[in-house]
Amino acid sequence: MLEIKNLHARISDGREILRGIDLSVNTGEVHAIMGPNGSGKSTLAAVLAGREGYEVSQGTVTYLGRDLLSMPADERAREGLFLAFQYPVEIPGVNNMYFLRTAINAQRRHRGEPELDAGQFLKIVRAKLKDLDIGEDLLQRAVNVGFSGGEKKRNEIFQMAMLEPRLAILDETDSGLDIDALKMVARGVNQQRAPDRAIVMITHYQRLLDYVEPDRVHVLQGGRIVQSGDKGLALELERRGYGITEDAA
Amino acid sequence: MSAIVDFPVKPETKPYLEAFGRNRHNREPDWLAGYRNGNLARFAELGFPSRRSEAWRYLDLRALEQRPMLPTGRGTAVIPTDADARLAEIGLAEPGYRLVLLDGRFAPGLSAIERLPSGVWLGSMAVALAERSDLVRAWLETQSSDMPRPFSSLNAAFFADGFVLDIAPGVTLERPVEILHLASGGRGGSLHTRSLVRLGAGSRASVIESYAGVGAYWRNDVVELQLAADAELARVVLVEEGPEALHLDEVRATLGQAAWLSSFVLLLDGRTVRHEATVRGEGEGSRCNLNGAFLVSGRQEANILTTVDHAAPGGETREMFKGVAAGRAHGAFQGRITVRPGAQKVDAHQLSRNLVLGPRAAIDTKPELEIYADDVKCSHGAAVGDLDEAALFYLRARGIPGEEARRMLVEAFVEEAVDLVESPPLREHLRARVARRLAMSEDWR
Repeated sequence: MLEIKNLHARISDGREILRGIDLSVNTGEVHAIMGPNGSGKSTLAAVLAGREGYEVSQGTVTYLGRDLLSMPADERAREGLFLAFQYPVEIPGVNNMYFLRTAINAQRRHRGEPELDAGQFLKIVRAKLKDLDIGEDLLQRAVNVGFSGGEKKRNEIFQMAMLEPRLAILDETDSGLDIDALKMVARGVNQQRAPDRAIVMITHYQRLLDYVEPDRVHVLQGGRIVQSGDKGLALELERRGYGITEDAA
Repeated sequence: MSAIVDFPVKPETKPYLEAFGRNRHNREPDWLAGYRNGNLARFAELGFPSRRSEAWRYLDLRALEQRPMLPTGRGTAVIPTDADARLAEIGLAEPGYRLVLLDGRFAPGLSAIERLPSGVWLGSMAVALAERSDLVRAWLETQSSDMPRPFSSLNAAFFADGFVLDIAPGVTLERPVEILHLASGGRGGSLHTRSLVRLGAGSRASVIESYAGVGAYWRNDVVELQLAADAELARVVLVEEGPEALHLDEVRATLGQAAWLSSFVLLLDGRTVRHEATVRGEGEGSRCNLNGAFLVSGRQEANILTTVDHAAPGGETREMFKGVAAGRAHGAFQGRITVRPGAQKVDAHQLSRNLVLGPRAAIDTKPELEIYADDVKCSHGAAVGDLDEAALFYLRARGIPGEEARRMLVEAFVEEAVDLVESPPLREHLRARVARRLAMSEDWR
């Protein structure tokens, strides 16, 4: 589903942050990418989602057989790529419900499906909110405005559940959450696990992995994946910290 | 035939003087004829405002100077066949009382001003001149002419109609009064209406005035608002003139003790649109909320000017104006707040926020505070910027195409101002008009 080969990317001041990433994610898999601060985790997420301000100097990214890097950000999303933001953006004046319906209908148009009217949409929304145990008041508020940190992350998971992506990338969705919010996020991710979907969790800490069991764990350091393994690697990192692998690299 | 005059005349006013001579209305009472003559002389003497004058520096009136747009005659307007459809389009879904001014003249067939509660007088200016001449005369004759206002003077010389809303003390008008100014495009030239809203002590009303039309015309409108002690007026102005139209309107308000004016202006269409509001807080503790927004694209120009003059202590002003310019359009906001000596404890705040989309659009914003009292709380803020890139990316990252995402953010920006309109039906109406306006142009990309 996702094939990253020798990906190099720099930020606007010329610093190279990604220095040759190789990663292959298959349908149905859950991957965890772990790494210390500054290792390039969020840059990887941003480059995959198509955020401006990054220059890919080398390498390729193939998504569902297509060249991902040539697609604009909104097209990537309509093709089923979802990024849960580390810092969800507050958008004053844009109602959460209106925003989501616009997003879903943009996706449906893209797939040649009929758009949902307000009634049909509300029905789906209610069901998803119930699944995730989120209150309906979330819908009437402006996107992320005045939301607590936990509410913002819940909103990301809710959007993921509504958009039903093929590939979901969660950028430190677990950071800064209390245990209840973390469990809610984990439940949302586990509900999304499906044979036709892949999930990539980018995280600094191991604790999310106590609730969501990954198929593969990768260690990102200095802009490269320096080690890959099964879920045991996460536990090992928890015990030994990132320093060991740095020496190994 | 040209009129014989014995006062100095600026050359660009000559065609108007000649038109005045042709249109002279013999059946008008002497006091009105005298009033018109005086104002015509004032206009001739002042000429068109120069861009050197601060109040007109952002507007280009050269085309009008070169090609006069003479007042249309005083005959009866012909109701266009699509009038009902157009009223349905621009009017409120559930109008309260509706008064239509078609090409500057009252159109009774399109209006619904029956069943007014007692203590409320609503009608055309032409009827008011006949039935309520004392009221109208007293109002017209006491209007100060200290400020040079050439177009207001031109309006005084030529106005054929307008509306009068007069509410007795203590009366509350529950349903909104809707005034629809329509230009049918059949006449061209200039349209001059003059109107008066007078609220007695403790009375309450809401008024929405919408302007729309087709073809090339110049609208030159003057409205006066008089609020007695404790009166409350909510006023909405919606300008959706035709793409070739020049729209100038001036509103002057005087607020009595603890009176409250809540005003919202939305400028959405017209080639060149200028709205000027002058509010004088004469009574102690008067309050005014002046809010609004303009949206310009293509080669449009919009200009909002506000002057709030606190002449008494304890007054309050809240201003929030938003501007959006795209394409090659230009917008300007000029807001002045004056606090007179002795007007202590005035609390005034003004905010001007603007979005400039694209390298060829521009917005000027010019707040001015003039404070002559020492115990006041006054502030202002102004910002001009582009859309929030982070918000734009967030929307796009959910699959919303860039163009649609930009439109959503512009809409949200304008709606933040529209949300200040208290009446839910009026607010919804304005929101729908904004959405429609945004769908009409592609300059927001």
